[in-house]
Amino acid sequence: MIKGLNIKESAQGGLIASTYMGYSLVFWIFPFVWLLILTFSDWQFIGTPSFSGLDNFFNVIQDPLFWKSMKNVFRFLMYYLPMVIFASLFFALGLKKIKYGKSFIALSFLLANVSSGVAYSIVFSKLFSDTGPINDFMNSVFGFTIPWFTNPDFAMFSIAIVITWKFVGYYGLIFYSGLVSIPKEIYDAAELDQTGPVKRLFKITLPLMNAQIIMVVVLAITVAFGIFTEPYLITGGGPLESTTTPMVVMYEAAFQRMEPSWAATMSIFVAIISFGLIWLLRKLFEKNIEIV
Amino acid sequence: MKLSKVKVTIAGLFSLALVAGCGSEKEENASLKMWVAPNAAQEVFWTSVINEWNAIPGNKPVEFTTIPATGSSEEAVMSALASGTEPDITTNIFSGFAAQLHGLNQIVDFSKLEGYSELIDKRQMDNIMTSWDYDGAKPVIPIYVNPVMYWWRTDILKENGFDKIPTSYDEIYALSEKFTIPNKQYAVQVAAGKNWWDRWFDFVTFYYAQSDGMQYVENNQAAYDNEAGLEVLGFIDHMFANKWANYDFGANDPLTTGELIGAVRGPWDISRYEQQHPEILKTIKLGPIPTKDGVSDKKTATFADSKGLVLFKSSDMQDDAWKFINWVYSNPKFDLEWIKATSQPPARGDLTSNPIFSDYYKNNPLAKGFAEYVDVAIPSASTSETVAVQRSMTQMLERIIFTDSEVKSSADKSVQEVNKILGK
Repeated sequence: MIKGLNIKESAQGGLIASTYMGYSLVFWIFPFVWLLILTFSDWQFIGTPSFSGLDNFFNVIQDPLFWKSMKNVFRFLMYYLPMVIFASLFFALGLKKIKYGKSFIALSFLLANVSSGVAYSIVFSKLFSDTGPINDFMNSVFGFTIPWFTNPDFAMFSIAIVITWKFVGYYGLIFYSGLVSIPKEIYDAAELDQTGPVKRLFKITLPLMNAQIIMVVVLAITVAFGIFTEPYLITGGGPLESTTTPMVVMYEAAFQRMEPSWAATMSIFVAIISFGLIWLLRKLFEKNIEIV
Repeated sequence: MKLSKVKVTIAGLFSLALVAGCGSEKEENASLKMWVAPNAAQEVFWTSVINEWNAIPGNKPVEFTTIPATGSSEEAVMSALASGTEPDITTNIFSGFAAQLHGLNQIVDFSKLEGYSELIDKRQMDNIMTSWDYDGAKPVIPIYVNPVMYWWRTDILKENGFDKIPTSYDEIYALSEKFTIPNKQYAVQVAAGKNWWDRWFDFVTFYYAQSDGMQYVENNQAAYDNEAGLEVLGFIDHMFANKWANYDFGANDPLTTGELIGAVRGPWDISRYEQQHPEILKTIKLGPIPTKDGVSDKKTATFADSKGLVLFKSSDMQDDAWKFINWVYSNPKFDLEWIKATSQPPARGDLTSNPIFSDYYKNNPLAKGFAEYVDVAIPSASTSETVAVQRSMTQMLERIIFTDSEVKSSADKSVQEVNKILGK
């Protein structure tokens, strides 16, 4: 009787799990296998891929544009990480202090995260253009303008500002969840020991938010390797390819130069490098914090 | 027990779905499938034409849909070819993409079909077709040829003491010197934007004008480091070096805001201005693309934003498809309908001489101005490496604009890069 029941239960479980299995098969395993096939073959969307060994890997290794785009990701992270962490932390600390309308403010900031990339890219390119309102204002007040998107040294910084705007609400809420989970007693004890607010921030708040900070940094790294809409629409990858990202290179290789095998191989490199960076970061900075 | 019933039902539903999904689409009464550009004006045109065709007894019915929404028409077509869901005919094909499709042996060579020569003769398209030649094959029927021209704000020109439209580099320098206030207003736009496709509307356009229509990629070799190319780059360099030009006007149209007096525009802008800026449109006058020496007796060559129609080799109704295409493009009535719906000059050489169009052009002088340049408007080079070529051109311009790079060395570097890509 019990045996029969077990078989019935496991069959039901299998049936329920099969939807997820089917989903994974169609949307994850099939594309992944196809990606692997493409990296070792030559294919131009039509016909059967022909085996090309490691040619695609050698081609990607020798492609200066791809490596420039990878370098651009690190340049982006250099601007983006401090900017987004500081802004999100500031947002979270502010949110904690607010007594009324907390949800409204949090939702307002989250709106940026769900906005269409195409729409806000157009808005930002208008705002930051050489003859746009921000430069108009700067010119009339300070007597100079900033080439936000037209200076090769400045354009990636400007893209980082746009992406920071997009993610500050999302990351801020992650930080906020970390902030509220720190027991008040720890702060009370610190106060009794006459610990100043700066010391409290660096010795209590930030160390106890290690999990949230690592999570935000991991998310920020994945964002950095996946940026496409903003550079593609606002700067076109320029000036002088200073904002060309791997996604832009892959998109152009696959759909404009009709070299999907090349693009697939690039994606393997991007996956390995981004995974490696995240692994290194966690290895170096992640701590197992337990509040007991 | 209940469970097995559920299993049987699900299995049954799957089987039904499979049977339905795998059923042959190539039934006897199947209709021709056609994709058209996702553009309201073109949809209006094709609806009318296809309704007329379908109403004629004995014709194979045609069904059209817009090209599926993706990043670009090219992406949609390639995805369809990869999955075997391509239509019989698709429009909105530019010359570079046609080169790729031809290279992949996916499109029918129209010149081998009966009635092709008669159609080309009837539409006086011999000159136009020279830009659509792919190793002797003609796998595209160009639908429209949009010459780009310089639009001038005559009101601002007059305010600055210019009664005549500037056509030479020196005249533009003089106007720029007088009118420019850096980061506020500029005489002309010499760089159209930051993306690779913007090169069609600056360097390529200026190059065609300066070189009298020479190709920038010919016989799989880049050629724009020649005298004409260097003149154009020198002009752009001079404009930026004197701070008379701007690289970034944001997403606004600077011609409408008074930030610019002259810029490259196409026939598609007429209807946009009619709807959004009718007062400004009244001040607009067309001019040829500026060259070093300005206007001569000959019309100045220019770039053509031109798109065509292709027939896929996978179609099992090629004869019917060709019959339909031939029917549409043999009748100038449809060309007139096309112009009225889209304001874009159809690809035919008799636009200003054929009486059927005379009334329309009499009432639409701006459209007529564009139509007059159809025969000297040259599409993008027929290379499958359009993106790589124009990416390199972008770098060439940006080196000149943002660094101390010399015009000659920048052009040489770009040509070498492109030749390396074309030689692969």
